[in-house]
Amino acid sequence: MATEPGDVVLRAERLSKRFGGVVAADRIDFALRRGEMRCVIGPNGAGKSTFFSLLCGIQRPDSGRVFLKGRDVTSLPAFRRVRMGLGLTFQTNRAFHALTVAENLETARRAGGTGGDDVHFRAAHEAFGLGPAAGLAARELPHHQLQWLEICMALRRGPDVLLLDEPTAGMSPGETMFTAEVLQALAKDGLAVVVVEHDVAFVRRIAESVTVLHQGAVFAEGPIEVVTQREDVRRIYLGRGREAA
Amino acid sequence: MMRALRLLNGPHDLGHGAIFWSGMAVLAAAFLAYPAIASAFTATNTAYYLLNIPMALGLSLLWGYGGVLSFGQVAFFGIAGYAYGIVAGNLQDVAWGTPIAVVAALVAAGITAAVFGYFVFFGRVAAWIVPILTLVLALLLSTFLGLTAGYEWAVGQVQLGGYNGMTGIPALQVGGLTFQDYPFYYLVVGVTAVAYLALRVWVNAHRGQVLLAVREDALRTELLGYDVRLEQLRAFVIAAVLAGVSGVLYVQWGNYITPSSMGLQQAALPVIWVAVGGRDSLLAVVISTFLLNQLSYALSSAGNQSALVIIGALLVAVMMFAPDGIVVGIARARWWRRRARARAAEGAHGD
Repeated sequence: MATEPGDVVLRAERLSKRFGGVVAADRIDFALRRGEMRCVIGPNGAGKSTFFSLLCGIQRPDSGRVFLKGRDVTSLPAFRRVRMGLGLTFQTNRAFHALTVAENLETARRAGGTGGDDVHFRAAHEAFGLGPAAGLAARELPHHQLQWLEICMALRRGPDVLLLDEPTAGMSPGETMFTAEVLQALAKDGLAVVVVEHDVAFVRRIAESVTVLHQGAVFAEGPIEVVTQREDVRRIYLGRGREAA
Repeated sequence: MMRALRLLNGPHDLGHGAIFWSGMAVLAAAFLAYPAIASAFTATNTAYYLLNIPMALGLSLLWGYGGVLSFGQVAFFGIAGYAYGIVAGNLQDVAWGTPIAVVAALVAAGITAAVFGYFVFFGRVAAWIVPILTLVLALLLSTFLGLTAGYEWAVGQVQLGGYNGMTGIPALQVGGLTFQDYPFYYLVVGVTAVAYLALRVWVNAHRGQVLLAVREDALRTELLGYDVRLEQLRAFVIAAVLAGVSGVLYVQWGNYITPSSMGLQQAALPVIWVAVGGRDSLLAVVISTFLLNQLSYALSSAGNQSALVIIGALLVAVMMFAPDGIVVGIARARWWRRRARARAAEGAHGD
C-alpha cells in the first residue's frame, strides 16, 4: 500500500473513551498526512496518553474509529497495527535491558508484517551514532541513547507513521534539540510523525502544526504560531494551577 | 553448523568459551564411562536423578526466560506417562509399539498444552493467574485418575488403576534393544544432554530473544509487532513436551505411574528445582535438578519422613538469601568480581 505525499495515513473519527465517570477522550477527530510533523499538546490530564493508546490499540475506544492508511483498524490488536506500518515509543524507557543494542534492533527488525523501506531507520541510526554501541547491553547505555535506541527500534521495519510519547523526557537541552533536528529531517523525508508532548519549547522547535487537547476533547488545532497565540489556549495552560487549587 | 555452534556459546546462559566447553566434554566423558565402575542398579538410580532434567529445563524456558510461571508441569509429565502406558500396553504385539507410544505420549502432552494454553494466553489471562490455572489442571487430572479404580476403567487392555496407578508398563524397545539397566542409563544421559544443548541454541536464537523480550516487557514486544500470545503459547508447548519427555523416561524407570505423580507435592518440586538453581540459566537448572533429586532420594531412602520439608526449607532459604538461585548467584558474584578487577586494571589489558 504505497502512499503519496499529502495522503492521509492516520485518521481518527469521533474517538471516545470513558473511565468510570471520567471522559478521557471525547469525540476526537484527527488526521495526519504523510510528511507531516504534528504535536499533540495539552496540560496534564488532558487525555494525551489515552489518545495515544487509542491510536496504537493498547486500548479500545467506546465509540469512534481509527483508520491506518485508509483501512479501519479499530478492532485490530496493537501488534497488527504495528505490522501494518505504525511505529511507536513510550513515555518511559522500554528497550529490553537484558538484550544488547544489536539484539534489540534485530528483535525489532524480525517482527512480523510487511516491512517497508528502512531508509528512515538508517538515517536515524547514523545520526544518533548507535553503531559503536551495538555490542553493549541496553542497560549499560546512558539515558538519552536508550531513548534514541527506542526511536531506531520503532523505525526498524520502515513504518509509515511514527508515534512518539514524550521522546525527549529526561534529556538535556542539547540532546533535546539534537533529537528535534533528527525528527524534523525524518518528516522532511516523508515520514508522518506524531509527538505527544507537554514541553512547549520542544514543540515550538519541531512542529508546524499542533493539536491541543483539553478535558479529552480537541480544543484547538492549526499552525503552531497561531494556536499558541490564542488567548483561550494560554488560559488552559496557565489555568492549571487554579483548577488544582 | 557454525551458526548452531555460535548460538550454543551465546550470551543467554552461564558458561562460555574453551575452558567451559572442555569441562563439559570431560563431564560428558565421565557420564559415558560411569557404567564401567557402577552396577546396573546404581546406574539406574543415577538415571533417575537425571530424568527430571528435561521437565526442569522446560520450566526454566517458560518461567526463567519467558516470565510465565507454571505450577502444573507435572500434568504434562503425567499425561505423557499415562499415554505411553496406554499405547505401549495396547501395542505389545506390534514391532514398533513402544517407539510409537513415545511419539503418542509427547503428542498428547503437546496437544493438551496447546489447547489449554490457547485459552490461557489468547484469553489474555493475567500473569499471576497462570500458576493457579496450571496447578488446577494438574490436581484435576490427579483427582480424576484417582477415581479410575475398577475394571470398567480400562483403555483397550490397559487398566488405569485408580490410586494404585498403572503398572506393568512395557519398557522402550527398539529392534532387539530393550532400554533397561545400562541402555536405560545411556538413554537418559543422551536425552538430557540433547535437551540441554537444543534449548541452549534455542534461547540464543531469534525466538529465544523474543521470549526474553516478552519477559522483560510484554507490551513493548507487542508494540514492535509481535504476537505475544503466540510466543508464550509456543514456549508453553515446548515446556509441556519436555515435561512429557521426563514422564516417558519416568515410566521406563519404574514401569508404573500413579495419580500422585501429578499431585500437589510433586507439582511443587519442578518449581523448587528451577528456583534453587536459578531459573534464568539452563545450566544452573540442570545442576540443581540433578543434585536435589539425589538429595530427596537419599533422604527418603534413609527413612527420613521429612524429605519434602527439608527441600521446601531450602527453597525458602534460597528465596531469602539468593533470590536469583544458588548457582546463578555464585556465577554472577564471580563475574562482578572479575569485572571489578578488569575495571581496576583499566586500559592496561584487552578484554
